[in-house]
Amino acid sequence: MKKKVCIVGLLLVLMVSFAFASGSSETADKTSGSSKPLSVMIWDSNQEPGIRAIIDDFTAKTGISAEIQVVNWDNYWTLLSAGAQGGSLPDVFWMHSNESQRYMSNKMLLDVTDRIKKSSAIDLKNYPADIIGLYTDGGKNYALPKDIDTIALWYNKTLFDEAGVAYPDETWTWDDVYTAAKKITKPDGSVYGYVNVNTNNQAGWYNLIYDNNGYVISEDKKTSGMDLPQTIEAMKFMEKLINEDLMPPQHVMSESGDDVLFQSGKVAMTTQGSWMLAAFRDNAYTMANCDVAMLPKNAKTKRRSSIYNGLGWAIAANTKRADDSWKLVEYFCSKEGQLKQAQLGVTMSAYTDTSDAWKNSVPQFNLQAYLNMQDDMVIRPYSKNTVKWENAVLESMLKVWTKEITMEAGCKEAAALMNAILAEE
Amino acid sequence: MMKKVRTSSGMMHLVLILFSIAMIVPFLWMFLTSFKTITEATQIDPFVFFPEKWNIDAYVNVSKNMNFLVLYKNTILMIALRIVCAVVTASMAGYAFGRLKFRGSEIAFSLVLFQMMIPSQIFIIPQYQMISKMHMTNTIFALVFPGLVSAFGTFLMRQAYKILPKELEEAARLDGLSIGKTFIQIMAPLTKSCVVALSVFTAVFAYKDLMWPMIVNTGKDSLVLASALAKMQGQYSSHFPELMAASLIACIPMIVLYFVFQKQFIQGIATSGGKL
Amino acid sequence: MGKRSLHNATTRESFMWGWILILPTVLGLLVLNIYPMLMTVYQSFCKTGDFGRGNVFIGIKNFQKLYLDSSVGQAVINTLKYTLFQVPFSVVIALVLAVMLNRNIRGRSTYRTIFFLPMVVAPAAIAMVWRWLYNSRFGLINNLFNSDINWISNPKLAVYSIAVIGIWSDIGYNMILFLAGLQEVPKDFYEAADLDGASGIQVFRHITVPMISPTLFFVIVTRMIAAMQVFDLIYMIMEKSNPALAKTQSLVYLFYQSSFVERDLGYGSTIVVLLLAIILLLTVIQMIAQKKWVHYN
Repeated sequence: MKKKVCIVGLLLVLMVSFAFASGSSETADKTSGSSKPLSVMIWDSNQEPGIRAIIDDFTAKTGISAEIQVVNWDNYWTLLSAGAQGGSLPDVFWMHSNESQRYMSNKMLLDVTDRIKKSSAIDLKNYPADIIGLYTDGGKNYALPKDIDTIALWYNKTLFDEAGVAYPDETWTWDDVYTAAKKITKPDGSVYGYVNVNTNNQAGWYNLIYDNNGYVISEDKKTSGMDLPQTIEAMKFMEKLINEDLMPPQHVMSESGDDVLFQSGKVAMTTQGSWMLAAFRDNAYTMANCDVAMLPKNAKTKRRSSIYNGLGWAIAANTKRADDSWKLVEYFCSKEGQLKQAQLGVTMSAYTDTSDAWKNSVPQFNLQAYLNMQDDMVIRPYSKNTVKWENAVLESMLKVWTKEITMEAGCKEAAALMNAILAEE
Repeated sequence: MMKKVRTSSGMMHLVLILFSIAMIVPFLWMFLTSFKTITEATQIDPFVFFPEKWNIDAYVNVSKNMNFLVLYKNTILMIALRIVCAVVTASMAGYAFGRLKFRGSEIAFSLVLFQMMIPSQIFIIPQYQMISKMHMTNTIFALVFPGLVSAFGTFLMRQAYKILPKELEEAARLDGLSIGKTFIQIMAPLTKSCVVALSVFTAVFAYKDLMWPMIVNTGKDSLVLASALAKMQGQYSSHFPELMAASLIACIPMIVLYFVFQKQFIQGIATSGGKL
Repeated sequence: MGKRSLHNATTRESFMWGWILILPTVLGLLVLNIYPMLMTVYQSFCKTGDFGRGNVFIGIKNFQKLYLDSSVGQAVINTLKYTLFQVPFSVVIALVLAVMLNRNIRGRSTYRTIFFLPMVVAPAAIAMVWRWLYNSRFGLINNLFNSDINWISNPKLAVYSIAVIGIWSDIGYNMILFLAGLQEVPKDFYEAADLDGASGIQVFRHITVPMISPTLFFVIVTRMIAAMQVFDLIYMIMEKSNPALAKTQSLVYLFYQSSFVERDLGYGSTIVVLLLAIILLLTVIQMIAQKKWVHYN
């Protein structure tokens, strides 16, 4: 009995001490702003401290305060759509190309076209046209570009050294990748040259397709490009890697994940988006052994494209504080705000030429590679029901990755499924 | 005769110990991972079992960045209120369904069973809109809302009441007690262990529930432990040591509550032969 | 004459009290749960528009699509496999453990707390640990036993591996309920059996099980319903890229993909209606069977 009281007591003490050790950062939120804080909703807690810092600067300038709410990705869209249905969206929130068309066509986002025209801080020329396009509907703007991300090739210097292969550089083509992978892959399966699980499309095999002048979805978003001869030809490269076992088997890639395999030194090369910088920076192994280079180019077309995407800052159409919300969004996307964002090293900013600070945030890595990929960027394939056809395509690709069907058959099947879904839009 | 008892007791302990190990492994993993570095936590080959150095950075950061006081308060209030609602409504309904015969009880009870068969994700959006219309988002009420009544609890208590001997009611009747008084004074006290079981389940379910609290209470001051933990999972990578540290800190209230309630189990209300 | 009026008075009293006592619960269920369910059924007959607007009534087209959708049929099989494996094991193991822990043995309260732990371990931690245990190349199980089994990526095996996690998490729940039920068994039954020289197994079969059959019934029915709704485990442990996913995904998983990820609420609702029908059928069978083996006082 006494023992139990002691244990309970100890646990209670621990609990209370953790509770009281908690940040006084909470009290800082009750800022000097006389008005109620604006509600800002995001899904990535990694970016919260950075955005908090930018908001604090904004508040110091304008006296308008804002409160950040983080809802994890899985639940973010459920909450947003429930709010849209029930009429209570946050004032300011992130928008993504997967869902932007749906929100715009249903008039859930505030039309900011006129505000942009009147604004001195925002000039659309300073942002990539494609990103602006993601958040434009019927000629009107509904969100401002927040950031962009590109794709590059990460490689493991140690594994390259062991196999006596020269590091990737800007002369590399995809054929060089194949040659290197062949040399580095060990027959006992302890090391593989390359890794790209089927679901890694935006940062993976999509890039191959566009390099070969194929496409995933047509410009008018009505047809699939998966069965084009150029696309199939490009994808046959992946088929070669799969069939010659230069990548881990699908189940290994799926169970452990591309990035984890890379961080554990099991694979020598992987293509990853610029958003992975934080993870690779925080991992001692990758910091010591790895670096990044531009994506290889296509030997035939000489094209070196990178899929890119960008989030947008949107305002709820029915917000009660449109002017204040606009001021905040304007600040986020102004040159000043964008520079600050890049400095915090989380993501490349959308405003042209503000990303140097991001590049310099981790000098050990050749992040210039990501910036260079901006020369030939292709917006991430999207439409009104992106997720639906994307899932269908990935399922077909899964069969190819597990060697059940050929790449040609897989691409044709994917195209058929995709066209059926696009027809319903 | 004595020998038989000893061997079977030895066997029993072996079984219990084996299962205990199986139960504890994840806990152990959480504990060890919370002291590792990120690199150690993500390494898959070789898997890092013990951290090289026992660093407490994760705990320090997590305590600084998460306002555990508010989280504990919200979570415990939510759990306590949900327990009260569940126990009260389920005991009442459980007694009625279990001991009384009245018109419409079969249909009403099938409604109860029916609710349990529906996947709970269906309720989220309609309930959210109800709360939203009442302007009660970011409140404790919102957290308790789906648990105002409990179909599971009703079913459980119905079984509990069904087990009790018929003679009790007859005796109460002879004593001139109304049905209501019979319920409160005689029958309910005898279901103590099931009430405790229901409380434990309600508590655990409420504590683990993520989708609902995440959606209905997004403001910093109205979060619960589960939402705060989910937030820590970044979109592309999570800081595993911190996540584990936070999860451990978060389960402390549950373990404390269980310890306290556990005594009720041990004392139990086993009806001994004579009382019947 | 007196007897009849007494009977009527009793019936009336029962009616009044009955409804008063069940009213809060029934009202709550109607508003919170039944109304959303009706909305869902309605949606299954519609092509749903965005944000709840523009629902177009299309009759049984969704159901026709469901009938032709091979992944749904497979999901039904997967869910049944999961349920029929998970429930019996989790019930039997928990029952045996509960019987052991019902006696006054050493360390009883410690054991009880240990078995409770899986119930409070964060889902993120559960996912992490089991993914590591089951990892085919680098995981503990394969490395410990030098095996090369694809626990969660072999289509034939994965659903059962997930079920093992389900068994592991449920043992605590079931055990608590069985302990509560065992408390109700009067001690003198056991004493009498002891005097008669009955062995442990005989006592178990002829006294314990019948006496706690109401609890047993409750546990089996509720666990079966919960197992049919399995979602979190599959969602957390298996990635979309997992080759075994098609042979493991449950009906709720498909529903979640449809309604919450692809935003096709009409079709998602149709899947829910199917699931409901199956669970209803299984439960009705159980309720009928209960008359054969469950002993109420």
